[in-house]
Amino acid sequence: MNKLDHLPSKNILSLFMTCGFPTLSQSKKVFHELLSHQPDIIEFGLPFSDPMADGPVIQESSKIALKSKITTKQSLNLIAQLKKGSDKTAFVIMCYLNTVQKYGIQKFIKEIKNIVDGLIIVDLPFEEEKPIKNILDKNNIHLIKLISPMTDQKRSKRLLKEAKGFVYYISATGITGSNKLDYQEINKNVLALKKQTKIPVLVGFGIKSKKDVMAISKNTKADGVIIGSALIQKYFDLKMNFTSYIISLRKFIKEVKI
Amino acid sequence: MKNYSQPNTLGRFGEYGGMYVSETLMPLLLDLDQSYQKIQKDKKFHKELEDLFKNYVGRPSALHHAKNLSAYLNGPKVYFKRDELNHTGAHKINNCLGQILLAKKMGKTRIIAETGAGQHGVATATVCALFGLPCYIYMGSKDIERQKPNVFRMKLLGAKIIPVESGSKSLKDAMNEALRDWIKNVRDTFYIIGSTAGPHPYPKMVRDFQSVIGKEAREQILKIEKKLPDYLIACVGGGSNAMGLFYPFLNDKKVQIIGVEAAGKGPKTNQTAATMTSGTPGILHGSYSYVLQDNDGQIKEAHSISAGLDYPGVGPEHSHLKDIKRAKYYGVTDKEALNAFQLCSKLEGIIPALEPSHALAYLIKAFKNKAKGKTIILNLCGRGDKDLFTAAKAIGFDADE
Ligand SMILES: Cc1ncc(COP(=O)(O)O)c(C=O)c1O
Repeated sequence: MNKLDHLPSKNILSLFMTCGFPTLSQSKKVFHELLSHQPDIIEFGLPFSDPMADGPVIQESSKIALKSKITTKQSLNLIAQLKKGSDKTAFVIMCYLNTVQKYGIQKFIKEIKNIVDGLIIVDLPFEEEKPIKNILDKNNIHLIKLISPMTDQKRSKRLLKEAKGFVYYISATGITGSNKLDYQEINKNVLALKKQTKIPVLVGFGIKSKKDVMAISKNTKADGVIIGSALIQKYFDLKMNFTSYIISLRKFIKEVKI
Repeated sequence: MKNYSQPNTLGRFGEYGGMYVSETLMPLLLDLDQSYQKIQKDKKFHKELEDLFKNYVGRPSALHHAKNLSAYLNGPKVYFKRDELNHTGAHKINNCLGQILLAKKMGKTRIIAETGAGQHGVATATVCALFGLPCYIYMGSKDIERQKPNVFRMKLLGAKIIPVESGSKSLKDAMNEALRDWIKNVRDTFYIIGSTAGPHPYPKMVRDFQSVIGKEAREQILKIEKKLPDYLIACVGGGSNAMGLFYPFLNDKKVQIIGVEAAGKGPKTNQTAATMTSGTPGILHGSYSYVLQDNDGQIKEAHSISAGLDYPGVGPEHSHLKDIKRAKYYGVTDKEALNAFQLCSKLEGIIPALEPSHALAYLIKAFKNKAKGKTIILNLCGRGDKDLFTAAKAIGFDADE
């Protein structure tokens, strides 16, 4: 069974966090905290040296994780360990193609099979996805589609034809952590996408607060939200005090879980 | 190899190349590809570009028989393709003029670029001044430090320089930031990439604009020597001056092609930029090509005394030419390049940039007392003005400003 096929019908919450951030052992605690709130989806970011689609906050988290020398293997082991006892939350890995390619596509997919429900490869566009998608399909892992405001309807129709899991709608043209949200524009685009697919449409990029989450829920027909940079930013706001960080994550997630 | 016709419509040179970018950029790249295909058939565009090449850049660039260096080598007859005489001092301007005309055609109103040595930054700032477009240049803070004359040039030309503090603070990181800027400002911005790197259609487009170098050189050598050269030599950073020289000769099977990379402190050390001699295939900045990476696919920081070669990736077409063995690639150390830099200055009265000094170093190393009676064209793609302080420091000369 793929948990992404059984997402709730509204207010879906997906939380993004970088694996190995700030350190491998602390990262485990962070994910335990996230999982304890039973979000619908967790996105595990695999740190990459050159995350070209990410803003400064996620970049910094990758850099810090890599400083403590985390490997892809360790990230995958961490995800596998966390899987035990988290049967409410769908697991998604978000990464860059070189990480998967270097690990070995077959080997990577074999190791995440039965653990991970979806894979987002940020720099793998529709035009290049075929070889990987074929293997993922055989293993019941959904390759999640990103759609941006630059994607016109003709293109999104092609992209969504075989899409499974959910649609990751990038709410602003920009990198992760950008801050302008135009609800009218988002809603217009979400509605158009919903005409093209039955799977849920989640809005990501730039969602920072309970207010944003409520506004998306109220002003748009999106099925839920993805929060990433805002979760990581707190660590820096709290001057990297890990104990306070966990407490503030707890408070924040309670707020955004509507 | 007859009728070389790479890349295919998806931007593949053999298995290399492609378009590995996020969905925000993808529609834009497809649009750029379409516009580029259209403009290639546009006579007016070609006329405009030819006119700029002739009257603004000063093309064709000369083919100089380097007699003293040839005598020193006691080997082949060496010709320099003198793209260092171009306006702005390097080959980079060829590509920038092509791309800015395209940007204009596409109705873009803001130009961004990355730069390492600052040569591409200067060339971009120059064409932006000429065409009256605002210009933003991403440059690693380490490169800002070691290429000060070019930083000042860009400022004079009206460009805004955005220092990049991430990673190794050099070319790779500048390109990351430029790509992020582009993702943020997709609608009005044109990204002028300075080398045959990045996602399709850049490697093809930049090669095409630079191939004026090889076209001219082929005509010139046929006129002078009545035959094709035996060897071509060029330095390879991202690979644009090299592709520019090589491309028009690819179907001439007898012409041997040599690309020279920067091996920094040595190809077996961790301080190298010799991507094809020390790297493995991977994905960086939107294309599949050789890269310097660790076992986990993390991109390594490159090192070279030459800011223009200090890049852990390389254009996909070079990876293809290496694999099909149409071209051979070798590494040259900082030290060897510095020696060649001095030798060329003394022997020929031409102060080369540190980048082509790598090509010169390989020439000196591999052809001393060898290949008598053969001819070689070496792409002297840039002049050394920008490198005077770096070189003085490395050589131990006190050139304090
Ligand atoms: C003079 C010169 N040569 C070579 C290069 C390297 O680029 P490419 O390999 O694209 O020619 C540069 C880059 O800045 C340069 O300034």
